[in-house]
Amino acid sequence: MKSFVIMADASCDLTEELLKKYDIQLIPGHIRLPDKTEHLSYPTWDLFTREQFYTDLKKHPNEFSTSPANVEEFSRAFEEVLKNGKDLLLLTISSGISGAFGFATTAAKQVMEKYPGRKICVVDSLRFGPGHGLMTIHAAQLRNDGKDLLSVETYLNENKNRYHQAGWLDDLSFVAKKGRITHPKAFLGMLAGVKPIGEFDYNGLTTVLGKVKGTKTTYSVLMRYIEETIENPEEQTIYIAQTNRLPQAEEYKKMIEQRFSPKEVVIHDVHPLCGVNVGPGLMAAYYVGKPISSDLSVERGIFEKAVAEVNS
Amino acid sequence: MSTRRINGIQLEKMIRNGLANLEASETEVNRLNVFPVADGDTGTNMCLTLANGLNSSKSHKEACHFLKELSEGMLLGARGNSGVILSQLFRGMWLELSRHPIIGPGEMRNCLIRAYRVAYEAVVTPVEGTILTVAREGIEHIRSQIRHNTGIDTLLSMYIAEMRKTLAYTPEMLDVLKESGVIDSGALGYILICEGMLKYLYGDVISQDTARYERSLATVNPMTAVFDENSVFEDGYCMEYVLQLMATGSYNQRFHLPSYIDDLRIYGNSLVVIQEGMKIKVHIHTKKPAKVISLSQEFGEFINFKLENMQLQHNEHAQAVSLTKSQQLLSTVAVVNGAGMRQCFENLGCAVLIEGGTTMNPSAEDFLEAFKKCGSQTIAVLPDNANAILAAEQAAKLFNGSARIEILYSRSMVEGYFALAMDVADSTDTEYRLRQMKSGIKDVLTMGQTVATRDCSGQGIMCSCGDNIVVIRDEVIAKGDNAVSAIIAAFDCLPDMNEKESCILFKGNETDLSEEELIEAINEKWPLLEVTCENGGQQLYGWLIGLT
Repeated sequence: MKSFVIMADASCDLTEELLKKYDIQLIPGHIRLPDKTEHLSYPTWDLFTREQFYTDLKKHPNEFSTSPANVEEFSRAFEEVLKNGKDLLLLTISSGISGAFGFATTAAKQVMEKYPGRKICVVDSLRFGPGHGLMTIHAAQLRNDGKDLLSVETYLNENKNRYHQAGWLDDLSFVAKKGRITHPKAFLGMLAGVKPIGEFDYNGLTTVLGKVKGTKTTYSVLMRYIEETIENPEEQTIYIAQTNRLPQAEEYKKMIEQRFSPKEVVIHDVHPLCGVNVGPGLMAAYYVGKPISSDLSVERGIFEKAVAEVNS
Repeated sequence: MSTRRINGIQLEKMIRNGLANLEASETEVNRLNVFPVADGDTGTNMCLTLANGLNSSKSHKEACHFLKELSEGMLLGARGNSGVILSQLFRGMWLELSRHPIIGPGEMRNCLIRAYRVAYEAVVTPVEGTILTVAREGIEHIRSQIRHNTGIDTLLSMYIAEMRKTLAYTPEMLDVLKESGVIDSGALGYILICEGMLKYLYGDVISQDTARYERSLATVNPMTAVFDENSVFEDGYCMEYVLQLMATGSYNQRFHLPSYIDDLRIYGNSLVVIQEGMKIKVHIHTKKPAKVISLSQEFGEFINFKLENMQLQHNEHAQAVSLTKSQQLLSTVAVVNGAGMRQCFENLGCAVLIEGGTTMNPSAEDFLEAFKKCGSQTIAVLPDNANAILAAEQAAKLFNGSARIEILYSRSMVEGYFALAMDVADSTDTEYRLRQMKSGIKDVLTMGQTVATRDCSGQGIMCSCGDNIVVIRDEVIAKGDNAVSAIIAAFDCLPDMNEKESCILFKGNETDLSEEELIEAINEKWPLLEVTCENGGQQLYGWLIGLT
């Protein structure tokens, strides 16, 4: 019997297969579609196919919206677990992006009062999407290694700032629209031949480190960037997330395998709940590495050096 | 007639009207969305939350039964931060009224107090300057004025008035609002719901259909905060009214228009006074509206009345101007030609555009004018050809403003486009941004496709007037029977064409060729080349082409 239950909100974007494999419970979010209907959103392609979704999103970017589970929904999910005499660890989407962490903390307080002696730990992942998912899997692996609830919580809080994203976002208007990029105006639509490189900042918001001209150069810069920021790649499973960029993701996978020989490289779909917020152009790798600096100045330095080296 | 008590049925109708009122302004509320961080949209989330509550409750004569079902439905249906807080406000109301079938002024006061307290408790780290503050101050500022005979409508209108006041101060409490120049969206959403409830009591029932089109926000300006306790009041008020002279009662019956005008002159200016029978229409700018009112009431009563703070309008404008300026450490000035190009450069964040083109090179004075409009610490300049570079250099020497002028030596609009595309506008490191822009210009090959206006030769190419030609920096490099063949021929003669990764096409005014046809022809020969097309609308060149 497992010592405690691990749960994540739908931002983790983990597929049913992975959830099963690592014994993780998922709490769905909500998505509102252009036809004004609202649905519970799971990391699946039940509502539409990938192509259909990203085509629609491109056509009606402002008519999709998402929201996390609310206090009551968190409470009910928590209660199911505590009722059965188990403790719980929940990893939420970054509090810099969504209110979910606050809702879950409120719900946890209410439910713990009802079940004295039981424990709920809510961890703010400070990440979203695949970064959040990767962290959740690591929590499950630690539990498999026999770690208890508190030591897993401590590990996550101490290490969450080491989860990196290295990749590009073809269409920045989505992240800009959702308040995830600070400059309001300068990003509209795709830029011909120019790839904006995104990394998580200290608060888990995707930020543009810089831009690179040309796809080949971009791959080379990303390789250099990963090399400078990753730690112990041979012990890691690296995730690549792609919204509608499968061929590029496969190319990227090959390069990462050759260069870093990680345990495994897994390509992931970005499902609707995250897709609404990153748009159709994401292709990025997620891995654990050096801690991210508070103003991203170190990472910008590494990026710029990489560009200079590749161009010389 | 004042409403002293309401039951569950009335409460339900009030809240439905509240929802309709909010829905009418849903888009406007969404637009204010900056805090905490947009996860979904505030207006939409609040509408969904309240609608969920209403859908899951039945009509009850007893207010407590209705509120119970409403708040349960809202808790479960809460969407987003603002939705969760809204659901907690209504939960607080229910907790307070759980035994009250009828609501009077005392119950109303208590439930509004309980509402904000429950909402504060529910939030892990309550943030001031949001819906929470508005709900708290709204009732705390008026609670002592509520008597057993205060009407529910009076109470609500006092509550709303206080909340509106606090709303105007939300930017002062929350930096993120101030920076964006907006008021808190969740707070506005809550006020709109309360206003809808009040409107019901006044018999103003908003139908769901008309609600969608009514813009009840017209009176709400997100910039309200530009007038606060530290503002200097110099501009006074703009007053407009129609005064009905009264023939009976204790009014002064000896109204004399010229002396009335003379008296008004003492209090203000911009005076317009028109008499039509016993009605006087007046427009005046004054700092002392009370004097104007008491003078007028000697003779009659107001039929209508409008009073506007002109300082507010003045400050709004000043703030709008300073916002666009202060936001920028670095801004860009570019020379462009063509409506599509203008749009494209604006979308990329270019601050000031100068009209250019080969036959209308901008002067140094044009650049100087543009520099003055910028207001940023550094100005990056993107000329579109060698002549414009000269003018820009000249202007940089003549410029006596404090900004540093950095000419980026772009020699075509295509290079300018790439410079802007490479800019990392959310970085505060100016040098980094300049380096990024410069790297955008590097290794971009610009070609233009046009029709020869005379016979000419160059690089072994002989062409006659009317031929389709492609030029690189005024040098003809290829020709063809039509635009497509000329462009393909030009690509063909580039030694490193197979190393090019992407191609951007700007379609000009003077071409009949469709972009699909051109892209297809290019991709047939170079299938790996990533080709995109923008509508440039430039003169002279049918197609401007950038290759990298």
